Order: sequence, then C-alpha cells, then structure tokens
Amino acid sequence: MNSMPSDSASMSFVDRVVVPGDHVLDLTGMANQTIKLGAGLRQDGDAISVMKAGKLRISKPNKYWVESSHKRYVPCVEDTVLGIVVDSKFDNFLVDIKAPMLGLLPVLAFEGGTRRNIPKFEIGTLLYVRVVKANNTMNPELSCMDETGKAAEFGPLKDGYMFETSTGLARMLLSSPPCPILESLGKSLSYEIAIGLNGRVWVNAASPSTVILVSNAIMNSEFLSAAQQKIMVEKLMKRLQ
Amino acid sequence: MEQRLANTWQMTVNERKFIEMALAADLRVDDRGPFDYRPCTITFGRHVFLSPPFHSSLIYLCAGGSSEVQLGETRVMSYVTSQLVQPYRDRPNEGTLSIFTEFSPMADPAFEAGRPGEFAIELGRIVDRGLRESGAVDMESLCVVVGKLVWSIRVDLHILDNGGNLIDAANIAALASLLTFRRPECTLGGDDNHELIIHDIEDREPLPLIIHHLPVAVTFAVFGEGNIMVIDPSYKEESVMGGRMTITMNSNGDICAVQKAGIGISSSVIIRCLEICAVKAAEITSKINHAMESFNDGRSIQYPNFHPVDVAIQDNLPDVIMDKKQIENLIGHLAALPLDALDRNSNKSGAVVVGTNTRAKFENNQARDGVPFYSPSNWDPYPRKLCSRLARSSLKLSGLPEDVEEDKVNTTQSVTVECGLEHTKGASSSRALETPSEYTTVEATSQYIKAPKTLKDAVKIQNRKMRK
Repeated sequence: MNSMPSDSASMSFVDRVVVPGDHVLDLTGMANQTIKLGAGLRQDGDAISVMKAGKLRISKPNKYWVESSHKRYVPCVEDTVLGIVVDSKFDNFLVDIKAPMLGLLPVLAFEGGTRRNIPKFEIGTLLYVRVVKANNTMNPELSCMDETGKAAEFGPLKDGYMFETSTGLARMLLSSPPCPILESLGKSLSYEIAIGLNGRVWVNAASPSTVILVSNAIMNSEFLSAAQQKIMVEKLMKRLQ
Repeated sequence: MEQRLANTWQMTVNERKFIEMALAADLRVDDRGPFDYRPCTITFGRHVFLSPPFHSSLIYLCAGGSSEVQLGETRVMSYVTSQLVQPYRDRPNEGTLSIFTEFSPMADPAFEAGRPGEFAIELGRIVDRGLRESGAVDMESLCVVVGKLVWSIRVDLHILDNGGNLIDAANIAALASLLTFRRPECTLGGDDNHELIIHDIEDREPLPLIIHHLPVAVTFAVFGEGNIMVIDPSYKEESVMGGRMTITMNSNGDICAVQKAGIGISSSVIIRCLEICAVKAAEITSKINHAMESFNDGRSIQYPNFHPVDVAIQDNLPDVIMDKKQIENLIGHLAALPLDALDRNSNKSGAVVVGTNTRAKFENNQARDGVPFYSPSNWDPYPRKLCSRLARSSLKLSGLPEDVEEDKVNTTQSVTVECGLEHTKGASSSRALETPSEYTTVEATSQYIKAPKTLKDAVKIQNRKMRK
C-alpha cells in the first residue's frame, strides 16, 4: 500500500535467517496499521527487533514471526505432539513431550471417557495427543480428543518405531504441499507415519527393513534441498533392487 | 520427583519391540551390519610443555598426551599426566599407571556428578586391566632411581557424550593419548656423577612411553536368548540388550582381558566372538596407528619452529639438580600435599595446559595461519610463586655414570615407540604400516638437535660447565 518503501525493506528480511538484534521492520512509515508479532519478535520503539535466531516468516497480510529449530520443544496451544506415558495418577497421566515440564493428560480426555472405562496405559506407551493449555509456569495440559470431542486419530500408537529429530525437521515434514522426501518415499514404499511438532516421529510399515529405510532417510534429509532429497531416495531405491 | 521424570530419557514399548524384532531378522536400526563399527575419528590435543621451574607445583607436566575419540555419537576425551613418586615397596624398579574416569552429567542425564557410579568404576577397571596386566606399557623404563623415584602415569578419561559403547571409545582414547604422551628426560650426572638432572624441555627432547602393543577393546551386545550378538551397540541398543561382553585383544591375536555381564552366552558363541574380535582389533589398531602417523607428521613440521626465540631468558635457569636430602624433602612434600594440589584443575582446561601467570605472553605469539603456537620460551620464567627452595638443590646418589653431552644424542635416538605391530592379519584395512612411527619420532628429534645455535647457547653451555 502506501508503505511500500518500508515494506520492501522488511521484504528483504522475510524468509532469511535473522539473529537477535536485527531490526527487521521500520514502523515510522506505517501509520494506522496493525501488525501481529509472533514468536521471537519484539517492538523496540519504532522498529521491530528479533529476539531469537531463525528464519523470519510472514503470513499475509500482517503476521510476522521467527521460526527456529531446536532439540527441545516449547509447548503451544493446538499443537499435535507425540508423548510417552511416564506415570499414571488418579486423575491424570503424566506424559513426557520433550518440554521443560511433564504434560498432564486427564484420564477422562478420551472420546466417550467416563470413570468406568479409564484406559490402562503402561509406562512407555506412545500417544498421539493435542496440547490444550500451555503456559510457561504450569504443566501443559493435553487431550486425546479434538475440539468437538471426537477421537480423530488421537490415542495410543501400536507397533512401529519412533525416533527423535529437531522441531525444524518435524515442521518441514508437516508442511502443506507434502514434503518431497515423504512423497518420493511414498511412491515406492507403503508406510504409515505420525509426526509430532515436538520432534518425535513414528513410522510403521509391513516389514522392519522398510521402517528402518524410511526412518534413516528422514533423519538424513534435514539439511537437504528438495532436489537432493529426491536424488537420495532414488539412490536408496536402487540399492534395494 | 516429577522433575527427575521429566529429565530422564524414556524408551517406548514400540521401540523396544521393534529393535528386538529387527535384530531377530539381522537388521540394525541405524542401518549397520551386525559387526560394523560406527565411524570413528581420533583427534589429538595441542602440545604445550611446562618445565619444572616454570610451574609453581612440583609436577612435571608434559602436557602432550591428550586425545579425543568420537565413535558415532559417543565422545570421550583422555588426558595423560606424569609425576615423580616413590615406588611401591614390593616393586622398587617399576613405575605406576592409574586410570581415572569422569562421567560428566552433560554426557547423559543418568550420570550424576560426584562419586563415580558402578558403571564408571567398571569402565575404568576394564581399561586398566587391558593396559596394565597385559604389560602394554613398559613399567621398568619409568624407573628413575631404584627404590626412590619412579614416574607415575595417570590417565584421566572424561566422558563428554554418551551415544552407546563407552568402553571401546574410552579404550581407544586412552591408547591414543598414551602414544602421544611425552615426559621430561632425567639423567644422572652433575658434579660427582651422583646428581639427578631433570632436563628442561629445550635441552632434551621429552621421551615417549615405551608401549609394547595396543590392547583394543571390542564390545558385543547380547540380545534374545544369548544367540544374537552385535558389535558396538548404540544408545538405544544398549537400553534393550540383555547382556554385554567386552574382549580386549591386540592385533597379534592375544587376548588381554574379557569382561562379561548379563544373560548367559553359550561357549560356541563366545568362540565365534573371539574370532570376530581378532579382525576388529586389527582394524582398530591400524586406525590408531594411522592417526598417530598423521599427527606425528604434523608435529615434525611444527618442531622446526620449536627453538627458543629469546634465549636470554633461558640462560639463568639451570637444569633442576637435587641432592639426596632435598629429594627426601621433595618426597615428603609430595606426600604431604593434598590430592587437590596436584593441579588437576589445570589439566582439565583441555589439551592446552597453561599456567595462569604466563597467559599474558601468549597473545602475541601467532603462527603462520593465525593459530596460536605456544612457544615456551615466551613464558615468564619467574612466575610469582617460584619454589626456588626446591629448584636449586642437588642430589647425591650411589655411583651411576654421568656423561651428559654424549648422552644427549644417544638417549634420544634410543627411544622407540613400539606401538602395535605392522602386520594386520587379514584385516580389511588397506593402509599397511610402511613407516612405523618410531622413525618419525627420531626424525623429529634429530631435526630439533640441528636447530640453529646462537651465541646465547654458547653462554648457556658455559654456565653448565661452571656448575661442574
């Protein structure tokens, strides 16, 4: 609009790596506009400055945030994650989701859950859950239902193999036009996959060798470009035959 | 309690079942063969030499013996230091070797700071048994004065990252650091052939340890009912395994030590493991020797620079000459020192051991490619706390030949490092040992002797003659 010059200045930062201290947006030219700031950004008087290292992202028209990749997970509401049951209490399961604190999964947070049919999870059960409440002072609260109360694929995962990656790779695997690695693997192999935003990935297939191949391919694909990922998968397929 | 649960690593039921199922089908989760090692890299620390008068403590630190081994995700660092001590009563002519382990909590949330846990002690014991009881390190060459003074070698193993199979990585690190360790040379000489002279680093090339063979540890993890074995278990495989067997063997095929824990294994499986171990030990020995060669090559290139830049500072420091009375004082002083005063703190700062009061001099000393080269001649020779009382004494002992000048060339050339054996039996490694590292060591020594002498050197020799 009328703030094109400053927009072009911020456009130069979008989708690029920024480090704490960078001023990515100059607000002097933008009057009467609302800009929404997400993670890693802060208003410093007349400029928006970066607090976390990562890539600056924009969601039109006015949402900005910084995306970074870590080994540990910071819980956010509405994230779907993979958790491991660590303990069961009277009204909660204690579930580890790679966050600073253990998550609490109420025993009634299941579709059609009542006091009579509480599921029995042994220690070490892998669950696909949703984060309902996330505060940095309290234990995050989880649920095995979606907003409407249906089960919707949440719950325990059977068999298969789970491995841990960084949060950045998990986001890439969940990106909307499907990630090239998952697509090219899916063309020749059939497998089931569940990806948690906390960096945990679960893979299941008919034979163990397929599972091992898929999991190693995903772990090695973190820093490859789309073309490189496709080439890697082709080489793996040739090796199989 | 809850915080503890949050911080410990959890294994899912799915992973456990899957790993066992895959192993039954001869597949490993990280796509290795059952008898494949993870990629192993050995790096060595920088060499910084400290001479006795420069250091306020009485430990002769020849801080060369440090190495870091990375085996897949596992990282272990090893550090070797030496000290003059009184020998054990029943072995008056042998030095001592001791291994210490440090399991840092940064390596694994299950490790706790403070007292070593059961596994830490076990690991130290396995490495110790392989080195000491097989006679890998020659103890008699560490004797200085029979019944009175011997060198005590101390190996510190620091676990930096636990990715599985700590024993093998720690063993390789200990071997690599022992091979590159150098101690100051001591001879008997002086006025009436009864003085012990501990030589300055500039005067005499420090000596390596005499190592007869390299005992390499190979760890097998046992699964199922004792019939499935894999080599070099990763962290997840270690959590699932039913038992573990470590065989320490050298490239000659001699078994140095065996350690077994967990479920029972049949004898036929054990024999098979021994055969596999022979091949693996030879491979790892050649890897260590290869790393040593490239390190020694790098060092002999470094040594041409290793001549005193400002010799004037050195002139006033004679070699340490001690008399019998003061040697006894030294021993008493050492015995009275609390263990902490053994300057372990300065060791822990990594491979480079630097006295704090000499640090200011280093900033100016940059080698060609900007990497700081710590030439000892730039150090302040008179740090604030100089124990001149003990630095200026002489030792009187019963008759032993003197001949300082001639010995200089002879003794250095007679030093050999017999590391491992040149032949790798049927090993897949194609890197045969053409030049054993002993030749490169001698070459480095002779290069050092031929360093250009200046007028100040002449002055220094005169000093020594005056002392006689």
